[in-house]
Amino acid sequence: MMKPNPLMQQQEPQAVAIQNSNQASSADAPPKQVAMAMDRLAQAARLIADVRLGADRLLEALFIAAQPHQSNKPLHLFAKEDAAMRQHLQNLRTVGRQLEESGVLNDSLRSRSNSWGLHMPLVCPDGAVVAYAWKRQLAGQAGASAVDRTRLALKAFTDQKRQFFPHLDDGLEGQSNEPVSKKHCSTQVPPATLQEDLSDCKTFSDVLTRLEKEMPNLKVFTFERLDWLKRASSLPNSTNENPVETSKEHTFHSLNKLRTGSQGPVTTDKAAVIELLFPSVFRAIVSLHPAGSIDPDAVAFFSPDEGGSYVHTRGFSVHHVFRHITEHAAMALQHFLGIGTETALHFLLHWICSYQTLFTKVCSKCGRLLAMDRESSLLLPPVHRPYRHFSALKVSSTPATSSTKDQFPGAYHIGCFSEDL
Amino acid sequence: MVREQSLTAEFPRDFFGISLPEQPNKYYFMIRGQRLVVEADSTIQTIMDKLQSYKSRVALCFEGFQYQLGDFQLRVGKVVPSHSENLRGIVMEVEYLPISSMEKARQIMEEFVDIWQEAISKRSLPGHFMHIEPNFSEYGLLDHYTPQHTAVQYATVVAQMIATQTVQATRN
Repeated sequence: MMKPNPLMQQQEPQAVAIQNSNQASSADAPPKQVAMAMDRLAQAARLIADVRLGADRLLEALFIAAQPHQSNKPLHLFAKEDAAMRQHLQNLRTVGRQLEESGVLNDSLRSRSNSWGLHMPLVCPDGAVVAYAWKRQLAGQAGASAVDRTRLALKAFTDQKRQFFPHLDDGLEGQSNEPVSKKHCSTQVPPATLQEDLSDCKTFSDVLTRLEKEMPNLKVFTFERLDWLKRASSLPNSTNENPVETSKEHTFHSLNKLRTGSQGPVTTDKAAVIELLFPSVFRAIVSLHPAGSIDPDAVAFFSPDEGGSYVHTRGFSVHHVFRHITEHAAMALQHFLGIGTETALHFLLHWICSYQTLFTKVCSKCGRLLAMDRESSLLLPPVHRPYRHFSALKVSSTPATSSTKDQFPGAYHIGCFSEDL
Repeated sequence: MVREQSLTAEFPRDFFGISLPEQPNKYYFMIRGQRLVVEADSTIQTIMDKLQSYKSRVALCFEGFQYQLGDFQLRVGKVVPSHSENLRGIVMEVEYLPISSMEKARQIMEEFVDIWQEAISKRSLPGHFMHIEPNFSEYGLLDHYTPQHTAVQYATVVAQMIATQTVQATRN
């Protein structure tokens, strides 16, 4: 990919800024507003990519500087990158301000009636950018059906190819159909790596089956990304006015979803979301990236009674206790990823399960259940479970007996927890 | 809260009725002797008025303030008869919002109340808070907390309050 000339990029936002100040945005026709907003969002995305690259370069420069016998070269690199980064961030701020002014990043324009039927592009809470908010659902459905059609077509083609041209079979049947580009890459990779990919796929369902066996109270479900959003929105919300009626219809829908979601090995190659439910205690969501892999990229905790479109791995619970656990879990996830990517999911899921004692296990340091957290002035149960030596414990402990629950990592209040635990 | 009297002799002669602020469309009936609790639409009160077969005996009002302490929701209020200023008692509601299972929340609630009692005792206020846990399963209620649970708790509280009425009158 060609990196645009940095000089040009610096000029761009300024040019747009001049345009903006000359014309009141209300004088622009809605299609132009939308086009400009999409443009700016694309700019912002490029700037963010530049910032990421810049960060990599800074780290590189630091790494080189740490090597012995270096000249001034790393210092130069560092200074140059520093200047470039600052400029990128400045441009990003400018673009951000423009976006805010034109109403993209907030809902200010939603209420304005618009005879063209167009609305400013919306940046949704889960990060998706849609040009026409009211068409999101349609687009989503259209997109989903297009993906399905393509998948079916590809499957038909592969089946026919296998049937009529068996000598062209290159041993990639075990792979999922979805990541087509992945497929192309893997043909150039030596067979040893292919074998590893296949065993990874097997291990995913292994991880889940083992987990279900060891945790009798746990319910595990897997979902594709779009399916999760539907499930989250259909979860009964405890603040509903008519919880009985809504929960009845939602139970029906969610039962359907559950059946399709947990069909076992069929969906493991497309699974992007894992739901861990300890009834009456908590619901944890883990997202995998890319779909079908065993690489967790985010985790979030919620009340078992919470529902709504904000229930996803980048969302936060309305309850303080689960918000604190989600923050702590983010660090645990990073730790497990740092130990090893193949084992990260396994350890993460088991670590999540240690929270089944959230409301019953007293703090291993102060011996109480509730304690006042000084920073937030809230009474909270022990929301921290140590993760640093968790993997060692898991490896050495014997498989599921009731006594392993006691060997589980202790529980700590925020104030009672220390990093070296 | 309203206490009404029915005319039929073989059946219980009175019942409790309560409306809760968080369920504006509902009205809850309780007959403590038979361990019955029923949820009805709030328009049932109009029907009962029109039928004229029920007469209100005592009507109590619980009003006060609601506080949020993180995940805990507290309501503290005074108990007064509808058309009088006599203070019959003080009621406090503690709700732990994150979960709905009573069993799972039991320890947390007890610890919270302990912390609360400790804080109160330092203020040397007259009287003390009493918690009576009704046997919810006798009413056919499950572990998952519902407005019916609240209704039953209030009925228990009122019954208790009336039983200790004379003692409270002396204190006041």
